[in-house]
Amino acid sequence: MRSLCKSYDEGRIEALRGVDLCIAEGEYLAITGASGSGKSTLLQLLGGLDIPTSGEVLFQNAALGAAVGLDAYRAHKVGFIFQAFYLLPTLRAIENVQVPMLAVSESARNRAERAEGLLCEMGLKDRLNQYPNELSAGERQRVAIARALANDPAILLADEPTGNLDSVNSARIMEMLIGIHQRRGMTLVVVTHENEIANAAPRHIRIRDGRIAS
Amino acid sequence: MASQLSFAGFAWKNLWRRRLRTLLTLCGIAMAIGAFVALVGFSRAFEHEWLRMYESSGTDLAIVEKTFLNTSLEESVGPKLNALPVVAQARPMVFNLIDLTPEINALVYGWQADSYELDSLVITSGRRFRDGQPEILLGEILAGNLNKKAGDTLEIQGSTFTVVGIDHGGSALEAGAVIMPLDQLQRLSSLEGKVTAFHVRLRPAPAGEAQDHYLKRAQAQIENALPGLHAIPAAERASNNQIVLLAHAAAWGTSSIALLMGILGIANTMAMSVFERTREIGILRALGWKRSSVMLLIQTEAVVLGLAGGFLGLGVGWGTLRLLAALPQTASIVSASVSPLHLLQALGIAIVSGLVAGAIPAWRGAHLSPVEALRHD
Repeated sequence: MRSLCKSYDEGRIEALRGVDLCIAEGEYLAITGASGSGKSTLLQLLGGLDIPTSGEVLFQNAALGAAVGLDAYRAHKVGFIFQAFYLLPTLRAIENVQVPMLAVSESARNRAERAEGLLCEMGLKDRLNQYPNELSAGERQRVAIARALANDPAILLADEPTGNLDSVNSARIMEMLIGIHQRRGMTLVVVTHENEIANAAPRHIRIRDGRIAS
Repeated sequence: MASQLSFAGFAWKNLWRRRLRTLLTLCGIAMAIGAFVALVGFSRAFEHEWLRMYESSGTDLAIVEKTFLNTSLEESVGPKLNALPVVAQARPMVFNLIDLTPEINALVYGWQADSYELDSLVITSGRRFRDGQPEILLGEILAGNLNKKAGDTLEIQGSTFTVVGIDHGGSALEAGAVIMPLDQLQRLSSLEGKVTAFHVRLRPAPAGEAQDHYLKRAQAQIENALPGLHAIPAAERASNNQIVLLAHAAAWGTSSIALLMGILGIANTMAMSVFERTREIGILRALGWKRSSVMLLIQTEAVVLGLAGGFLGLGVGWGTLRLLAALPQTASIVSASVSPLHLLQALGIAIVSGLVAGAIPAWRGAHLSPVEALRHD
């Protein structure tokens, strides 16, 4: 990220004020900061969900939005994990995992088989056909992780992935994420409030008032 | 076997989450398509029956004063027409629509007893009428609706007529009609000495002359010999007369209003759906869905609604036509048959209705900012 600024409300609110950050391929990075510090905005820009007011996000030296299309970047390079899971309520667990694959061309059979494999990897072999409201919070987050992995992304972005979980499930989810990062060599960026999680990461940055404080 | 998610399946699940709203919307578009199938089908069947009537009697041309039905011309024109070399027979006719009972009205034709048009009718009981006599033939559907048989009497506009025969014609317009001597209908219609039209059967085309060319030549010859009159080919007369045009206009007008209501129903459903699913659309965008994919999903939902409503509407329309064909008030002019082309047209309209109705909600959904959409409660 190069001189990244993001402001809202015609410049009255400055969420990010000139952030420079380089994340290596395969790195595990934790980002912390108070509410409103700009950490989620940073994650959104990193994930191509939004565009910066100024500055640029580079992926493998190519600028997002210019050299790399944001839709294609989100579909193929990034997997998102959200605090509130954001599973689609009308779809079964296995169907939720197939949703990102609908954005890329793949046969229905391949999609279903891949989704089943990912859910089995998440320990949800017996929960494939459950709807989100039939799953526990921890199970829902595991479905969301499987969904994030659906298109085999290079980067996993997790925004408060344990924010809605108890300590046992939190530990299990973080264990899973770190395991995926290590096994697959994926870049993992976790935004969190929890110092314990942040301190366990090899690299940890703090955001304060839209800038990297440390 | 792992459950496979298809694009269409996803669209259907989105619709089915609000079952009542979806079903009500389906009912709305089904009624609209049903109205189209029934009304436009009715008007087309009417036109078709008109053509069948001309074809079964062998009429090639209709001679009228104007191109509309509410026209009259002098009966004395007949000998001049019959004297033309191309004309085999020219027969005067009067046409009217008369209330027979408070519930039943019927088409009434006035023909001469020796008209070639009577030759195409099969008299299933009784005999033909005689000129100058208060006698009538009843089409078999009308006779059934009136519960009349040969030998019975029927009062028409204060005059008593004897039913001398029951006929089976080549068209529903005859099967549900009264046919009486020309002079009798002229008297009932206060058209003494006047006729609605002359129906002309041409002599066979000379060897080597194409039928179309011969028909045009005959038209020109008649119109030159009788200035002020129009010679109209039977097929054109069937599709381009005032009653058929009015039926078409009324059918399309009413159907269009119903379709507009149906489209608004789908649009409302899709707009509500997009609003309720704002966050979900944000999720799809975050998961890499392109704007075009989101638009396609919403448009697919709208088209599925339109198409499902269309299929329901085909049933509604066909049922309505069958009902109209069975009712005594309308049986004489309605045929229950619907052409496959008409059904395909109805389904096409249903699909286009879905596309039109879904366009704005789809555009709006696709252009939501992913970040704003994810924040939506």
